[in-house]
Amino acid sequence: MASMNDDPGDGNLDLVPMIDCIMLLLLFFMMTTKFTPEEKSIANILPTDKGLVATQPSKVTPPQQVNILIYPAGFQRGFGERDYVNQLGALIKQSPNAIIQEAEIRVGNRPETLKIDVKILRQTPGPTLTKHVAEIHQFISQQLGPYEKGGADRKGQDPIVIQCFSSLSWQFALIAYDAVRSYEGGLSGIKPPFTPEKLLNMREVTFSPPRIRNYSEKELGGELFEILHSK
Amino acid sequence: MSGGGGGGRKKKILPSEDHLDLVPLIDCVFLLLLFFMLCGRLSNDQRTEQITVPPTKTATKLNTEKDWSRVIINVFGNTKTTSGNTPPRNTIRLMAGGWSKEWRSEGVNNFTGYIKLREEMNTVWDKAKKYKDPKSGMDLPQVVCEIRADADTEYRVVQEIQMVLTDSVMVDPAEGLKPRAPTGAPKAFVYIDYTTRAPQGPG
Repeated sequence: MASMNDDPGDGNLDLVPMIDCIMLLLLFFMMTTKFTPEEKSIANILPTDKGLVATQPSKVTPPQQVNILIYPAGFQRGFGERDYVNQLGALIKQSPNAIIQEAEIRVGNRPETLKIDVKILRQTPGPTLTKHVAEIHQFISQQLGPYEKGGADRKGQDPIVIQCFSSLSWQFALIAYDAVRSYEGGLSGIKPPFTPEKLLNMREVTFSPPRIRNYSEKELGGELFEILHSK
Repeated sequence: MSGGGGGGRKKKILPSEDHLDLVPLIDCVFLLLLFFMLCGRLSNDQRTEQITVPPTKTATKLNTEKDWSRVIINVFGNTKTTSGNTPPRNTIRLMAGGWSKEWRSEGVNNFTGYIKLREEMNTVWDKAKKYKDPKSGMDLPQVVCEIRADADTEYRVVQEIQMVLTDSVMVDPAEGLKPRAPTGAPKAFVYIDYTTRAPQGPG
């Protein structure tokens, strides 16, 4: 038998090692391969602490900005942080990891608000999700209209700051950012992808820095009070 | 050979015959192998697959410019992994070149994740190519930071990660995180991407 295997001139080629090899390779590729869908991204430039330095001292004018406020839905307006602590207590005590299901969005001191639903945003892509996202976009662009400064180009418009309650899901803040981007993109004619150069020529849109770092009920109540009463 | 009685035709059909026809099998296996080698991307991927990113409309396909590198910061939400366990909400995971680091930042006043992230980002900053920012005069790294946060990550974690990236917070053993003292040059990253998905599905 040994002489049969060693002899290359024999008609029967030993295929077993080759098949072993191929099966191993096949198994390796089948296990390690991932068919990932292409993901998309949205870009932002963060200000640094040495940002724009004024070349000469200018008149002191109060900083103008347009706030987009996002907070949990269904809160009664109160007179101080205590009113909010009580209302929040019920929401937070359910479980420390409870996800707040509904948020309300408002622009500046406009009276209109829109409800955003986590359950819809969490859905797989489809018509319901597309419709909800479109609703949010439409609402933001309607509400931003009155804040337009006549005569100024896009870069000269008041910066927009997104103020989102810190315990809400991150998608609420991002969807607002997305809506502002879409509004600005439509008006400025600048098309994505947004490179750093393009972003510097567009209106400034930022996420607010953290207001609190100690996430006790009292602090959260205070934060909610500030956000709800911002203009 | 022991049966002996049958003719030559019958023998060819018998499965116990010595020579099994392996050619179709090998053909098949080669085809499969070729398919996986061509279609599959062996992803040394920094993205952990189980994160569901939020939907947006204006986002564009990822691309990194020449000479720029990309660091991906994964943040978990209320996600079940493929292996069935649920990592704590707000866990930060950084993956690069075959290693993966994971820190928890959940819970009140738990800043470990941010501190570790900053330490890691310091090394990335030191190694990165820099360019001179004409407006601020700062040396900025040619690195895009991609925040790949789950839709259900708490907003405050994303806020803090942004603060950590711009190097505007520092750690105080007594107070936790606090605004950075204005000494020394910050090792800031300013160009940030947020990963999202399209609401109407692929296409």
